[in-house]
Amino acid sequence: MTTIEKAHLINEKYKAFNFIAEALEGGEGLLSGVAVSVKDNVCVNGMQSTAGSKILEGYIPPFDATVVAKCRAEGAGILGKTTQDEFGFGTFNVNTGYGVPLNPHDPERSTGGSSGGAAVVTAVADFPHLAIAESTGGSISCPASFCGVVGITPTYGRTSRWGLIDYANSLDKIGCMGKTVREAALLLTVISGPDKYDSTVLHEPTQDYTSYADGCAEGLKIGVPEEYFGEGVDTGVTEKVWTGIKTLESEGATVTEVSMPFTKHSLSSYYIIAMAEASTNLAKLCGLRYGLHMPLEGNFDEYFSEVRTLGFGEEAKRRIILGTFTRMAGYRDAYYLKALKVRTKVIEDFKRAFKHVDVLAAPTMPVVAPKFSEIAELEPIQHYMMDILTVAPNLAGVPMISVPCGEHLGMPVGLHLMTDHLEEGKLVKAASAVEGAR
Amino acid sequence: MKATIGLEIHVHLLTDSKLFCSCRTSLMGKEPNENTCPICLGFPGSKPKANKRAIDHGIVLAKALSCSLVPEIRFSRKNYFYPDMPKNFQITQYEVPLAMNGYVMLGNRKIRIRRVHLEEDPAKLIHVGGDITTARYNHIDYNRAGIPLVEIVTEPDLEDTKEARLFLEKLSVILDHLGVYDPTTEGAIRVDANVSIDGGQRVEVKNITGFRNVEKALNYEVVRQKSMANMGIDVSRETRHFDAESGTTSSLRKKETEDDYGYIIEPDLVKIKLHSEWVDKLTESMPELPDHRIERFIEQYSIGRFQAGIIVNTGLQLSLFYEECCNLYKDPKIVVNWIVTYLLKSLNYERLNIKESKVKPETFVELLKLIDEGVISERTAKELIKEYTVSGESPRKIVKEKNLSLMSEDELHKVVSEVIEENPKAVNDYQSGHVKAAEYLIGQVLRKTRARAAVDTVRKLITDMMESKPR
Ligand SMILES: [Zn+2]
Repeated sequence: MTTIEKAHLINEKYKAFNFIAEALEGGEGLLSGVAVSVKDNVCVNGMQSTAGSKILEGYIPPFDATVVAKCRAEGAGILGKTTQDEFGFGTFNVNTGYGVPLNPHDPERSTGGSSGGAAVVTAVADFPHLAIAESTGGSISCPASFCGVVGITPTYGRTSRWGLIDYANSLDKIGCMGKTVREAALLLTVISGPDKYDSTVLHEPTQDYTSYADGCAEGLKIGVPEEYFGEGVDTGVTEKVWTGIKTLESEGATVTEVSMPFTKHSLSSYYIIAMAEASTNLAKLCGLRYGLHMPLEGNFDEYFSEVRTLGFGEEAKRRIILGTFTRMAGYRDAYYLKALKVRTKVIEDFKRAFKHVDVLAAPTMPVVAPKFSEIAELEPIQHYMMDILTVAPNLAGVPMISVPCGEHLGMPVGLHLMTDHLEEGKLVKAASAVEGAR
Repeated sequence: MKATIGLEIHVHLLTDSKLFCSCRTSLMGKEPNENTCPICLGFPGSKPKANKRAIDHGIVLAKALSCSLVPEIRFSRKNYFYPDMPKNFQITQYEVPLAMNGYVMLGNRKIRIRRVHLEEDPAKLIHVGGDITTARYNHIDYNRAGIPLVEIVTEPDLEDTKEARLFLEKLSVILDHLGVYDPTTEGAIRVDANVSIDGGQRVEVKNITGFRNVEKALNYEVVRQKSMANMGIDVSRETRHFDAESGTTSSLRKKETEDDYGYIIEPDLVKIKLHSEWVDKLTESMPELPDHRIERFIEQYSIGRFQAGIIVNTGLQLSLFYEECCNLYKDPKIVVNWIVTYLLKSLNYERLNIKESKVKPETFVELLKLIDEGVISERTAKELIKEYTVSGESPRKIVKEKNLSLMSEDELHKVVSEVIEENPKAVNDYQSGHVKAAEYLIGQVLRKTRARAAVDTVRKLITDMMESKPR
């Protein structure tokens, strides 16, 4: 069976793709013989790229995202576009325009989001495969944790965002997933680095991150922030996470407790900034130049309202409305501008912690992947609460990795490791130590 | 009743590429939507990248308007839905503009500049089958989308239409001297004007193109508001549209509150630090400004303030032309006279500016030299300048081809004799003491010679001949 045929099978079983390539091209390089799947919000030249939204149906970008171009240059073949929450708006990958992906460990459970499809394909592919994913507030770590794979979210600006269909530009980071730490580190090595097409990219040259995957935690100082083990974190999850931390200790790391007092403010700051930016990013989608079109009737206002009413899902509409509200005159100071200030406080929290420790360790998600029936009972605010552990590092723009550290209720649990900006090497090192001992 | 006028002036900055992408800005010979790319069309996945050249221009302009530059600039998103905006937000500057608190002197009057900032131009809407209110549909041309604009916002310091016009003229000359815009491009300057009369509400007239239209729009608006006030009708706060054809304004929408654009920081663009090295380098190489140039002309060329003002305020190209002529010709005063009195008139008549025309310093001074050398009369020169303005041909060549040089003494003698023969009455009048009759005869000679004779020579010949002619 060809890789493409296998991808179709995976899709039939788990609804992991929005688009599958007709043929797998490839060449020589670090990724020779590897099929790379690409989250739907990352543009691939000539492949429909919708970011999981109906409103972008038919949008075929005339360019490759920089990360995709880098993969091709290293010989990878582009397998297709993986499912996601619409524009990244979700934690469980149920807010989609094209069907909901299913967790390979239990199809009645969520894959996590928003890079759900990427995690599924990574978990089940029996061929050489790596996934390009993307995180705004936890969209790589969460599905990696729920599906039991390794997900790396690099430092903000470590990878170019050229070609990424924006959710919240000041938070969006393209990252990667793999079955193992070394595999994920390989893809990170390929996609990192400066790029003239993205003004916000960092100029430091990329490194060979695989060289850090030595399974050794000797000399690493691990900090355990008490705020990440509070109310709402399942004790079964906490137990497995501590097992992971103990492994690090037995592999030579020292473990201390640290405090991150601004953690509790990060969720509201994150959602305000993310929604404010998202609500402006989505304004361009009005059925005029690309994506969903309708018969032209009425004036411009009537036309684009119609297109947007039909094209956007409920969560997208909620975020447009909330995001617009937070930046309106009279509310702007109290919400958007204040959220920006809180963000600097959250960054200070991390900077302070990283003066004393190399790596922070915490649960990736407070629970294992929930059942769809459970998700249906949740209020929007409870959805947002699920991100409580991932939004702070995303807000601070520090790199993070979710690495499997055991199972609870038969479902994978993820250990979340975070380091200071541009310290992806240490991240890979610590994660490989956890993985090696498992 | 006193009018209070504040202006927001949008100027197309002269750069090769657009503000946030590498598309060309020149629209010469371009099909609609030819100068576009995923960035200026706002394709999902594309990202803007700031054009340093446009920022350079902005810095130089801010300096010329005596503004304080901010230490680092940021761009913001101004959000509103309009079909001319590819992203339904405009990348502009809000919280932190490029520069603030400057001024322009108009004589002794100080017109304060509130802020100067950079932004991208939206696309051009072509209203098909009507105007903005009546067209059935629009065509959108994105060639213009993303062209860099600088917006200059004045305080409401302008007191009448005339002052507003003088201000814009001065601003245009400053821009021209700085080389940051092309005055010949259609729509290179667009103005929004805020007008009120004492105690009245502020009315905004949007999107006026060209100076003459600004003056028309302001005139109309001031008169409209004054007559409403006279009739005891309150002027309401609103946005009005100017119709260039009829020279009138009409209501677009009532405005109860400030527009709310929900600005956010543009997260795709980083802060740009205006470090002193950068700014100093630009300031050092900044071109001479018009006020300074006028003073220098008065000093260096001993010409009058009025004439120096006309040369400089007409535009940079004319100033450069004048100086080049002065290098090639001995007397700067004669040059300025000929430019101000004849050349400009002729250019205006042909609706040309010096840059577009074929007039060149080398050929222009040739004309003056032909007079000095006694080859042509001044009057011939004044005639010749019209043809020269259009063709740009060497005047010496034209004189030769058209046989315009002064007649030889013998030839002229012959013509004068003829005129005296043909006009016995005038001769008679002269001889009876009506000296003025000679002027008539001189006129006749010049007509017959097609001005190929110097007036003084003709006068002398005629009087001599009549004195010696028997009664
Ligand atoms: Zn462009």
